[in-house]
Amino acid sequence: MRFIKVNLRFLNVWSIFSFLFVLGIIFSNLLVFTSLFQAPSENWEHIKEYLLADYIKNTLLLITFTGTFTFLIGTSLAWLISFYDFPLRNFYKLAFILPLAIPTYIGAYTYTGLLNYTGIVQSSLRNYLNYQVNPKLFDIMNIGGAVFIFTLFLLPYVYTIVSSFFQNQSSSLIETARLLGRKPLNILLTILLPLARPAIIGGVSLVVLEVLNDYGVVKYFGITTFSTAIFKSWFGMGDIDSAIRLAASLLIIVFFILTLEKMVRGRKRFDSSTSKLRPITLQKLSGYKALLAFTYSFLIFSLSFLIPILQLLYWSLITYNNVLNNKFWQLLVNSISVALVATCTIVFASVIVANFQRISGTKLSKAYAKITTFGYSIPGAVIAIGVMVLFISLDRKLFWFYNIVNPESAELVLSMSLAMLIFAYVIRFLAIGFNSVQTGFEKIGKKFFEASRTLGMTTTKTFFKIDLPMLKPALVGGFVLAFVDVLKELPLTLILRPFNFDTLATKVYQYASDEMIPEAGVPSLIIIVVSLISIFLLNKMIMKEEG
Amino acid sequence: MYVQIRDLTFRYKNSDEDILKNLNLDIMQGEVISVLGQSGSGKSTLLRMIAGLEKPSKGTIIIDNKIMVDRDTFLFPEERGVGMVFQDYALFPHLNVEKNIRYGLHSFSKKEQSKRLQEVLELVNLTEFAKRYPHELSGGQQQRVALARALAPKPSVLLLDEPFSNLDADLKGRIRIELGRIIRQSGITSIFVTHDQEDSRAIADRVVFLESQNHKSPLIKSL
Repeated sequence: MRFIKVNLRFLNVWSIFSFLFVLGIIFSNLLVFTSLFQAPSENWEHIKEYLLADYIKNTLLLITFTGTFTFLIGTSLAWLISFYDFPLRNFYKLAFILPLAIPTYIGAYTYTGLLNYTGIVQSSLRNYLNYQVNPKLFDIMNIGGAVFIFTLFLLPYVYTIVSSFFQNQSSSLIETARLLGRKPLNILLTILLPLARPAIIGGVSLVVLEVLNDYGVVKYFGITTFSTAIFKSWFGMGDIDSAIRLAASLLIIVFFILTLEKMVRGRKRFDSSTSKLRPITLQKLSGYKALLAFTYSFLIFSLSFLIPILQLLYWSLITYNNVLNNKFWQLLVNSISVALVATCTIVFASVIVANFQRISGTKLSKAYAKITTFGYSIPGAVIAIGVMVLFISLDRKLFWFYNIVNPESAELVLSMSLAMLIFAYVIRFLAIGFNSVQTGFEKIGKKFFEASRTLGMTTTKTFFKIDLPMLKPALVGGFVLAFVDVLKELPLTLILRPFNFDTLATKVYQYASDEMIPEAGVPSLIIIVVSLISIFLLNKMIMKEEG
Repeated sequence: MYVQIRDLTFRYKNSDEDILKNLNLDIMQGEVISVLGQSGSGKSTLLRMIAGLEKPSKGTIIIDNKIMVDRDTFLFPEERGVGMVFQDYALFPHLNVEKNIRYGLHSFSKKEQSKRLQEVLELVNLTEFAKRYPHELSGGQQQRVALARALAPKPSVLLLDEPFSNLDADLKGRIRIELGRIIRQSGITSIFVTHDQEDSRAIADRVVFLESQNHKSPLIKSL
């Protein structure tokens, strides 16, 4: 009873809207699970017997190796940048974030084009050095190649999280270790890595979830994983039931990983005994050590950013005449307008759920917050299936209403419209906006809100007069991040877009599938440039906050 | 002289003003010295240069006839055998008390390690706390662990940076006496830095006064 009473007190616009958003997320995911309790189709028996083992094996190989490599490279880069000074260190500090602007599927197409028979590497060897190479050596369309691509372009997740952790440590920890006679590498292994474990695991989990979400890379490389299998059952075999079952299996893997993350991360909090009196002082490297650090950094930067960008620029130069036509502008308008609508909804929903959580502070509101951030962990293909099923059943339920409005109406209205795609974007990327807004609220604290209430303003009035203006940086941050993510999203868009509706991302995918990789240069670069701008914008905002 | 500091000068990279200028200081073995000065007088920098955490722009530091730094030599902190207790204690948060102390004993044999561990734990009265983690200790206990950790490898000199700044005022008196006892008992040559005259007088054999550089008065005055 008390629970209900407490919640009734907060029953207002905020709570009602929050409830609706959360309901949407829960529904579309629960629907996926209900399939597990229905009788399977014939296809499913076939999939289970012959294919499922392969999906699981490939998926595990991809996440294990990508996880390991991003951990090794990302952490070592974070260590170098956080504690050492070497030539161009300040440039690299930012440069290692940039690969985030290149979606993995664009990375995959670019490297394939670069390394295939007609690509610049092999043709240069042939024409200038008269050297015939074994094409197999340059074939990256396999699991190893996919790991290579994922590692390069997902690296920033580990790098940014771990380096910001390192930079928040007090330098006295490292200085003490040195005074106790330990060498730098030893300090890394005995002090820094154990301390950074939660940060490292957090970063690597993000990488793993991105790999599970991927469709563009594995499809192009011909690797069968859950994502490709879901697409194939749906579009190839028209077997919705099997697609849903695969989605549910994938979701179970995701749950498993999230639980594992919680367990390995550990409950021990290591923050109470250290204060941050003295920021880390960089140690200057000289001689061969400086050269080594510089070369390693340059290698990673070239592979993960410089080389693909130069290649894309070159392709854009030779193809822009063919690509930039009226249809292309339509594409641009499509992409931007869909992303705008989705992002505005995301920010709106984030503010409502975050504000509800802040004001009420009940268990229920905290659960809402958890569910809201959950969407980001769910692979696009799974959300796509869930949303699709939800919308089709909505359409069936609303058919009587369509008939009243228009007697000749088709049965499927909502599920043929852009609304479905936008709804899916919101579910998938709500977490991004929400995290931003929530951090913003935490920074402001509750005292302004309380002061305003004691001065006679209602919750809603206070929100518009006090909270919203103070929250502006967080809103802009959340907006930018979510916008970029929507813009480059591929699997959801491919499944849920209305017939003949193309975005930049789907066009890139289509060019690459049609063996027209150079033509993908222009749309790819646009996606990358927009992402880059957003990275710089956010970086500037962070710098400003740090003074 | 056990510790000899000659013409020690320090200037930050982007600054054109010396923080310390031609500082000379001699310390006898077993002596407890307190360096007193306002904030910004460079007293912490002095400790950091003795530890090897900062490089002087000029000058010599010799400890027990071993050159730590001069024009041609610069020993890294890990090569100096100097113990330091940081202002924020810098206990490794992921290691318990025992492991924190053992961390500096890596060159000891296993048996010696355990023996030395017991010795210093007894010295600081924390034998029952060996398995606790830093965050499970009070501020005063944390400080004693930091002290034990610094003393364990038998350093040539013990440096303490503002040892009382993180403690409540009502605890300070008791802890000051305790710290004095531990340092005396271990007989180690110690230099500690503070801005509080009372702290200085309570523990030190000799108080060295470090004045801010903008005053043209003599740098060091013995009180």
